[in-house]
Formats: sequence, structure tokens, C-alpha cells
Amino acid sequence: MAATPASGEQEEEVCLWSWGAGTEGQLATGTLEDQFLPQRITSLPAISHIACGGAHAIALTGDGKVWTWGRGTKGQLGHEEMNNCLKPRVVKLLESFFVSDVAAGWNHSGFVTDTGRLFMCGDGSFGQLGTGNNESHSSPIEISFSDATHVEQVACGMRHSIALVKDASSSGDLVYGFGAGRHGQIGKPATRSSYLPMVVPGLENCSIADVCANGDQSAALTSNGQLYTWGRGFGGSSGSHIPQLLTSPLRFSKVVLGWNHALLIADGDTYILGGDHHGMLASAPKSQQASSPSSDDSSAIPNLRKVPGLDGEKAICIAAGAEHSALVTEHGTVMTWGWGEHGQLGLGNSCDQTCPQALDISYNGPFASSQFRVYCGSGFTFLAKLPS
Amino acid sequence: MSYDDVEIEDMEWSDELQAFTYPCPCGDLFQITKEDLRAGEEIARCPSCSLYITVIYNAEDFSFDDHKNNMPPPQKPITVA
Repeated sequence: MAATPASGEQEEEVCLWSWGAGTEGQLATGTLEDQFLPQRITSLPAISHIACGGAHAIALTGDGKVWTWGRGTKGQLGHEEMNNCLKPRVVKLLESFFVSDVAAGWNHSGFVTDTGRLFMCGDGSFGQLGTGNNESHSSPIEISFSDATHVEQVACGMRHSIALVKDASSSGDLVYGFGAGRHGQIGKPATRSSYLPMVVPGLENCSIADVCANGDQSAALTSNGQLYTWGRGFGGSSGSHIPQLLTSPLRFSKVVLGWNHALLIADGDTYILGGDHHGMLASAPKSQQASSPSSDDSSAIPNLRKVPGLDGEKAICIAAGAEHSALVTEHGTVMTWGWGEHGQLGLGNSCDQTCPQALDISYNGPFASSQFRVYCGSGFTFLAKLPS
Repeated sequence: MSYDDVEIEDMEWSDELQAFTYPCPCGDLFQITKEDLRAGEEIARCPSCSLYITVIYNAEDFSFDDHKNNMPPPQKPITVA
């Protein structure tokens, strides 16, 4: 919109950093080393979003192009081969599309175009590609829905996938699940797996703003701030094979999932659900608990509490790896906590942290906090400073 | 402390590794061989990190040669209660 600045200033730089487990090339550093401190990455064009999976990552650029790197042994990079890739490479087969959303699971990937088409690639052993069989694909394959549908979003868990679909012939949004279902993660009771997308029951009349998946967990956030979860469950709460509404007066605006925890934003406060399963993630003193968790394991009321140590600072971006968490505060501070063995906290060591710790990012340029985005893969983390 | 309890049904057989595997949160795989299972071992380890899982399985299922009969016999007979 604006004309080129008269000063001849260059286009604002996109900055990118990565740290954590690097054994499959997932850090885009060109090496296989774990990194305990943020590493500056220069091999990507102007990205707008990153999805991180088990050991691979997918970057979306502002012009709808897709770049992938990391573990590719199941075809999850979409490069028509089954090899790891230590540097980001464009997905050629999607170049004729404008891709608007991407998701990375343990070993599979999902891509949604601006025209509402869904493509998947990678490991299909559990039906998580939704192709109707359990074959794996090393190039993106289109998943067919009925003609009236427009796929809006895709989310990928360990062995399952979730798609948010707008259907012109239906009153509300439809959420589909496919892939492994033993832990209820595709929303179908007593289903080992589904090779084709099936509608997740109980959400038919909801307006869904966001879907997410990780591990054996799935979640949907309604446009009026209600959270539904299904799958294995979070520590104190028992798992559910159909979507369960989180009973809370809070109105949530954002949710991300780890393997055993969820992070949530409501009214500017950041909450954690579960996460004490392995004693690895933030466990707050009892006095900070936002709702009264029941010690009875059969209780449907999950263990929801405020993330400690933020001193009232609001988070504007949250991300969850398998067993670690990251956020960006309103003042642009990047914080991490949880499991740290591979350096995924970026704090220069392999220690675990129960409270968010501020990271030292060597960036001296001008920025607005809203430009920082953090993304977590299973054991690694990316930070991007996007153009304003 | 064991990271998790995982049923054998949730593990995948890897021909390449000749082991049952399950995703580790570090990005690598927890692994346990059929020989380990025959010997009554229930811990599957990740070669890349300190985490390990407890495998839930029925010892009877691994106490005899599989149907292909291509595995060596167990070192010791396993008594099934």
C-alpha cells in the first residue's frame, strides 16, 4: 500500500531463530546438532507462519508458498522423496496454489489452500492422511470432501488429523477427524482408526474459530470462547472419546496443545491445563489455581491454573511442544519452560524449568512485540520476527 | 521415572530397527526388541535422551516363536501362570 520509502530503506527484515533437538535437521541450521541457545536462521524468505512437528517443520510465506525441512523419512516434507532435509526447501508440487494454512504432526503434514482444498503427505500408517487407506505419500495428495465444503484449517497430532470445514449445506461448521482413534483423538468412541475423514460429533451447531491437535489430543475453540477437548486427556482430567466442554466461566481466545498439557489465553491471562503428568512442566502453588481441581481422577473438571511467574504480563503468543512451552509477552519478552534436555528452552543449558524463563534474544533492531511469534515442535522451538 | 505407560498395541514394529517403537517427545523413538520382551523386559528406551517408557504387554504373546518361526527360541522357557 505505502510507496517505497524515499530514504531507500530496504524491505523490513524477517528474523528467525531456532533451538533445541536438531538430530533430523529440524532446526534448519544445516547441521544435526542440538542447539541450547537461539541460532539465527537466514535460509528462508519472508515467512508468515511456521508449523513444527515431531522432527520436521513447515513454513508458510506471505505469498502462499510452502517450505519444509527436517525429518523426511516418511515423506512428510512433500519433496517426492523420503529423505531428511537440513535446509528449507520449497514444496514444488504446491507452487501452483496459494496455501493459507499448514500443520505438522509427528511424521505427517497438512496444507490448506485459499480455495478450501486440503492436501496431506507423510506417514499414513494410521489413516492420518485421510486418503481411505494406510499408505504413506511423499508428495501432497488432495483429500476429497463433498463439493459444498471449504476446508478452513488443518491440525495434525501424533497419528491423527483434524480438519475444520465450512459446509454451505450445513448450518454450522464441521470438524472432521481421521487417523488413529484408540485414545479418542478423532472423536469417535471405540474406533481404533479411521482412514477417511469422519465428522466429530457434538460440535455440529458450534461456530468454530480454531482447531488444534498434538500427541493424542484434540481441541476446538468456538468463536464465543468455549473450549472443547477430546483424546487422551490432561493429567488430572480423564480422557474423553467425544468432545467435552471445559466447564469454566473464562472466555478463551487462544489454545495450543502439547502431548500432556494445553496452554490457553483468556482475558489476557495465560492458563495451563494438565502438564504436571511428568513433573516436567510448570506446576503452580495451590493458591494460584484458577479453578478448584478435584483430586478425584474420575472428575470431568480438569486441572486448570494460571501460568505462574508472569507477574500480570499478558501473553500475545503461546506455543506448546511435546513437553515444553513458550510464549511472547506484550512487551516482547520471549519466555520458555518445561522439559529442557535437548536445549528446547533456549536457555543455554539442558535444565528443566517449572516457571517461564526469559530468553536472551540478540536482536537490537526496532520491533513491536506483536511482531514476534514462537512455534514449538516436539523437542525444538522457532522464533520469528515478522514484518510489521 | 518412567515417562509414560504405553500399551504394546500403541507401539509400531520397525523392520529397520527390528524393534517395537513409540514416539519420544524429543523427536526420536522409544525402542524395545522382541528379545527384550521375551526376556520379560518392560522398559523401552530412547537412544537420544534420558527418557524411557514402561511397555504394557502380555508376556504370553512373546513367550513362543512367532508364526513365521524365524526367531531364535527363547533363552529360557517362560512359565505362564
